[in-house]
Amino acid sequence: MYWQLFISFLKIGCLGFGGGLSIIALIEQEVTSHGWISSAEFVDMVAISQITPGPVGLNCATYVGYHVTGSIWGSLFASAAIIIPSLVIMLTLCIIYMRVRDRWAQHPAFVVTMRVIRILIVLLVAHAAISLCTPESFIDWRSWVIFVVALLATISAEVKRHRVTDIISHPIVLIVLAGVAGWAIYG
Amino acid sequence: MTKIIWQLFLTYLRIGTFTIGGGYVMLAYVQREIVDKRHWMEDKEFMNMLALAQAAPGLIAVNTAIFVGWGVAHSTTIELSRRWRWLFTAACIGAAVLGAALPSIVIILLIAIYLSGFKTIPTIEAVFKGIRPAVVAIIAGTVVHLARKV
Repeated sequence: MYWQLFISFLKIGCLGFGGGLSIIALIEQEVTSHGWISSAEFVDMVAISQITPGPVGLNCATYVGYHVTGSIWGSLFASAAIIIPSLVIMLTLCIIYMRVRDRWAQHPAFVVTMRVIRILIVLLVAHAAISLCTPESFIDWRSWVIFVVALLATISAEVKRHRVTDIISHPIVLIVLAGVAGWAIYG
Repeated sequence: MTKIIWQLFLTYLRIGTFTIGGGYVMLAYVQREIVDKRHWMEDKEFMNMLALAQAAPGLIAVNTAIFVGWGVAHSTTIELSRRWRWLFTAACIGAAVLGAALPSIVIILLIAIYLSGFKTIPTIEAVFKGIRPAVVAIIAGTVVHLARKV
């Protein structure tokens, strides 16, 4: 059982391109094909993974590992298995990147390529923000008020660096304040 | 050296504890803590390596932690022999990944073991109704920040 769990999550770690949602899709495929978790339970699990801290895919792995084996070791096996491929692949990429950078850092082609890649990265992150604009995130006009206020607070530090803007633009401060606001408005 | 490893672990532990919604939200924290505050990496370097984290399979948050650990180990000016350089790099990567993963594993285990009805507690639901739009705003803010540094 542990072995199967380990292999399954190793596979997910190797094939999960694009992070978050694509990994959840892979996990669903694995756990339902093994009959480890029913699809209703899976939906609940994804919801819990999304509202608890930490990487969503890792949360899923921990949860499935515990659910399947009924022990903490199952969780640790599944979590380790999903991280191991990342370690191997990222290390290789980092080494290659360093070699290329050290050798061609001044080369115009390298500079231009990296600049294009950086622009694409900004677009990718923008895409992630847009794809989160779902009815679940924005349930009524008050959600939009929270969004606009939080956005202004985040950007305030970009406009002017100051002690106050540093604090109100901090993600942890924003998350906590938004949580309190949610509790006050909807609780 | 051990101070850097310890700081990296604690920073990532904090990031891991407060990141709700996965890898992209984590970016805002990582960018702020690692690049802005501690100057462990440069903006351009951070974005270049972010490209690697996106291109590789696996969890983006974990991939990011790995390249941050790598970048921090290589940005220090401490003189080290080859073998020690590798050990230091491995320790930095380990610290970042462990810090990012630990809160997630502990919290999910607690919920899985003790709180099966966690999601349906009304207060929790209300709190998350407030957090969700803020998460979108934080990611949008990251876009603005990164776009200025391209």
